[in-house]
Amino acid sequence: MTRKQRRLTLIGGALMVLGIAAALVLNALRDSIVFFSTPSMVAEKHIGPGRRFRLGGLVETGSLKRGDNLAVTFTVADGSAALPVAYKGILPDLFREGQGVVAEGSLDASGVFRADTVLAKHDETYMPKDVADALKKQGHWKDDYGTKPTAQAAPAPTQGAVR
Amino acid sequence: MIAESGHYALVLALGLALIQSTVPLLGARWRDAALMNVARSTALAQLLFVAASFVALVTLHVTSDFSVVNVYENSHSLKPLIYKITGVWGNHEGSMLLWVSILALFGGLVAAFGNNLPLSLRAHVLAVQAWIASAFYLFILITSNPFLRIANPPIEGRDLNPVLQDIGLAVHPPMLYLGYVGFSISFSFAVAALLEGRIDAAWARWVRPWTLMAWIFLTLGIAMGSYWAYYELGWGGWWFWDPVENASLMPWLAGTALLHSALVMEKRNALKVWTILLSILTFSLSLLGTFLVRSGVLTSVHAFATDPTRGVFILLILCVFIGGSLTLYAWRASALKQGGLFAPISREGALVLNNLFLTTACATVFIGTLYPLALEVLTGEKISVGAPFFNLTFAPLFVPLLIAVPFGPLLAWKRGDLLGAAQRLMAAGIAAFAAIAVAWAWTYGGATLAPIAIGLAVFVIAGALCDLAERVGLFRIPLSISLRRARGLPRATWGTMFAHAGLGVALIGIVCETTWNSEYIGAMKPDDVASVAGYQLRLDGMTPRQGPNYREMVAQFTVSLDGRRISVMTPSKRNFTTRGASTTEAALLTRGASQLYISLGDTAADGAIAVRIYHKPLVLLIWWGPVLMAFGGLLSLSDRRLRVGAPKPAQAARALQAAE
Amino acid sequence: MTLWFVFALMTVAAIFAVLWPLSRGRPAGTDGSEAVVYRDQLAEIDRDMAAGIISAAEAGAAKVEISRRLLAASDQEQHEVPVQSNLKLRRMAATLGLVGLPVVAAGFYLALGSPQLGDFPLAARSRAADANQPLTNLVAQVEAHLEKNPTDGRGWSVLAPVLSRLGRYDDAVRAYRNAITYAGDNADRRADLGEALIGTAGGVVTAEAKAEFERAIAQDADDAKANYFLGLAAEQDGRKADAAAIWQKMLATGPGDAPWRPLVQAALVRVGGVSAPALPDGAVAAAKDMSEADRNTMIRGMVDRLATRLKQNGDDVEGWLRLVRAYLVMGERDKAMSAVADARQAVASNAERLRQLNDGLKNLGLDG
Repeated sequence: MTRKQRRLTLIGGALMVLGIAAALVLNALRDSIVFFSTPSMVAEKHIGPGRRFRLGGLVETGSLKRGDNLAVTFTVADGSAALPVAYKGILPDLFREGQGVVAEGSLDASGVFRADTVLAKHDETYMPKDVADALKKQGHWKDDYGTKPTAQAAPAPTQGAVR
Repeated sequence: MIAESGHYALVLALGLALIQSTVPLLGARWRDAALMNVARSTALAQLLFVAASFVALVTLHVTSDFSVVNVYENSHSLKPLIYKITGVWGNHEGSMLLWVSILALFGGLVAAFGNNLPLSLRAHVLAVQAWIASAFYLFILITSNPFLRIANPPIEGRDLNPVLQDIGLAVHPPMLYLGYVGFSISFSFAVAALLEGRIDAAWARWVRPWTLMAWIFLTLGIAMGSYWAYYELGWGGWWFWDPVENASLMPWLAGTALLHSALVMEKRNALKVWTILLSILTFSLSLLGTFLVRSGVLTSVHAFATDPTRGVFILLILCVFIGGSLTLYAWRASALKQGGLFAPISREGALVLNNLFLTTACATVFIGTLYPLALEVLTGEKISVGAPFFNLTFAPLFVPLLIAVPFGPLLAWKRGDLLGAAQRLMAAGIAAFAAIAVAWAWTYGGATLAPIAIGLAVFVIAGALCDLAERVGLFRIPLSISLRRARGLPRATWGTMFAHAGLGVALIGIVCETTWNSEYIGAMKPDDVASVAGYQLRLDGMTPRQGPNYREMVAQFTVSLDGRRISVMTPSKRNFTTRGASTTEAALLTRGASQLYISLGDTAADGAIAVRIYHKPLVLLIWWGPVLMAFGGLLSLSDRRLRVGAPKPAQAARALQAAE
Repeated sequence: MTLWFVFALMTVAAIFAVLWPLSRGRPAGTDGSEAVVYRDQLAEIDRDMAAGIISAAEAGAAKVEISRRLLAASDQEQHEVPVQSNLKLRRMAATLGLVGLPVVAAGFYLALGSPQLGDFPLAARSRAADANQPLTNLVAQVEAHLEKNPTDGRGWSVLAPVLSRLGRYDDAVRAYRNAITYAGDNADRRADLGEALIGTAGGVVTAEAKAEFERAIAQDADDAKANYFLGLAAEQDGRKADAAAIWQKMLATGPGDAPWRPLVQAALVRVGGVSAPALPDGAVAAAKDMSEADRNTMIRGMVDRLATRLKQNGDDVEGWLRLVRAYLVMGERDKAMSAVADARQAVASNAERLRQLNDGLKNLGLDG
């Protein structure tokens, strides 16, 4: 092989791998991205049953009910709308009524959110990022109420994110 | 006085770093040996002062001096001593001080052991190292100063969070930092080469041990972080693809590619420009990781915007160093002498393939990590890119890489013989197919991909062994000669074998854990029996117990297999009375490389307790693999050819005579 | 003074590190060069060939290649400008070290440091503890001690009433509970616990508190505090007759000089438990007036305490709502509105508390 051919083989191989990788990434971005919603966004956008998304909000006080064999139901609210959530399994240590929560799953035909993962906030000052942002947008988080900045300087990750 | 001396030492370190970043460059420009040697003494002095500063901060934490804001906010007089010490880097300011101390440590090491480097290269490397150090000293002093004081010290500190009192959490950040920061040396070498406008095979040999050292620490750091998540978080997961983890994985992938491309450069004087680029990218990714974790941008884009000083400062450092080095690269790279070309089928070709896949995989992780952030900033839409994305992109790219791994070492430099290599790998191929057949028959009707993945892993391990057998001529020549040859093999060869085999070992663990993991989740009352993967776990009862500063409810499980009692497991739920916080302590039972894992949930009104039991087959292999890889790295590092210190001319001469 | 001496010493050491290499003409250490590396590589190939790892042909080719590099490297080394010494530059560098270093260090340190502050290690400060310390510091010390020895029942029973007096009812409740667990259960402690619980509820005898008083009574039927509050519970529930019965029994069975007699008698008059028919209408009216005043005093006391407590710890959304409600009931709208403002300030950093607060205020008819 001449020098030129070798060079072309190399470049061709590299382009092929990059092309395959790009195709994989685009394909994955289409199929496996999970969007984040709050109950009011769910109501607005009419998310159909079966579509996976992350639901964030506050666990409504008094809504937590435990059923048989670790089944639990609770309501996630964001001030203007609420959505019933059903989950089966062990709730995280820091799951409490009135606190922020992020659940991942999808709606069923009757409009109940079937969660397969539930993340709770990690400490007193932390609210899951998505929830905090959403509440801010809705005006439930008013910076001008206090002198203290709302942001936390140190990142406090969710349970799944603690390293 | 300790606090103020520590503060002053840090300021002096900044001053020294500023001198170290300018004077040696002038010296190199005017070829003045004395000026170039300033780099060395200032690097050592800088290490001394920043170490003194760090020790001062540790002392302040140990003596609970709450007149220091950092101690007041992050410590408490009642923490056990070990957590007082580890708490030093458990917070932002302290961890940045640790970061820069490690940076100075690596600079000091180059100064102390870089005898084999030409004078001007050493001066350049240390000067670049000092640029990075100066930027971070300024960052610490201006935005994150750990030595700020309170005039009227409070009587008690604020932090006694029991969740953070964990030894795993305490040890792995320094490891990760040693890895992250270690890559600063290869970055400095790359920028120094660009500044000098000269680069050749010798450069690669000088930079490799440093890269290897950083790579070993990073490998161990990632493995430890993963194990900590596994046993502490209580749900048995060991890798979540979250941004903090990805931030450590990206430099690892790029660093692995760098190790391999530097090898090509050393042996064949090729891939020079690419190796320089990889050095820059690897450290850039380390900086990016620091930025992602430290700026708060992950917690909330808004958190970053509302407390901008720190975030903007780090962003600035990021832009200056990444942007600056890449600009320098674009400007000077064309001036570097091009290296030789080579045939696609050769050791070099295989290593290029390795680099191609590793960097592409790294790029997919990069996209998956930053795409959500970028999308949120641009459109305000919030998405989460989780495991499914990475399974669809990262995994397919790793499969061809793993297939290629055993071929690489068997191909000759310059012009390889693919057919010959394939023939020599026949045994590995047979082992792989046997493994697929066995795994498939065993789990008949189960997952189809898993046995193939197991086969691939076996192929990688057996391939590494084949390579070794080939080199010592096993079964072709008498065993005694083979053994003698094995002893005579360079340690780097052994290192390659262990590192590649480690990859296969980790893969087996990953496949087994994800495919054949069985779990039981349910509410149990005393004397209930749960069966998981053939084990019977009987809940004997729950007993309250008093710990040093907590009360715990300990559940006792008797584990039996086929009616035979094996062991007792005692997971517990701790309640820190005075703080009102609770933590879950999982119980682990190791059986070979497999583990049983129990964690407790809430107690229901009727006295039943929620229990989560997992059986994780061969899960420990996931971490033994990286340990094996790190061990391989260590072996290579101890190879005399790579030894950091000076290969004395006399020694070389002796070696020559011996060879003749 | 010592501090400045140490600083000076450190500065001198740093300057020395800059000046030392400048003062030496030829560096002592031998420098590496590319040629050394290539010679090393050649040796390595010979070794590999001797060990039979590579074939002679391969070795030959590799050696040719490396030799070519070796030649080029030594060629370049000869062309290089030899290392020289430049006195002017050295002087400049020395000046930079001598002047620049101290200036930078002093500039940064004086701007950021606090040289007037000494060390305050905890050990030294605890020894210095004395009676002049504010109560809160003493409490902090006792709490610290209990954190280490949570089973010290005596400690808890000493701490609990202090906390109660400071208005830290939540902590007092926890302290009384721990005292009961570790120092033993008795009627007094149960009754005190109940009282602290009433404190957390802003003066309402909750079911939880009532349960504690009942437990106290079960251990000592004559416990005055428990009996009084059980009566109060009955009164708050609207069962005035029951309340009167309980208090009348207390007065009948209790010692004649008990300090609580006036309080119970006043309470009795309030619920009308004193044989009413025997008195003329005017007297009943007077008693009613008096009880109204009494009740107001009592309520005011509780409201004030609640306000003080919230000023210290503003996280308690329920408390704020209770305070606002109380002011509204007492007809003091101004105070209610200023409490609303205070409450928002206090919980502003926590979105979900703020939400609770706003919801609660909406229920009270006050819109945010």
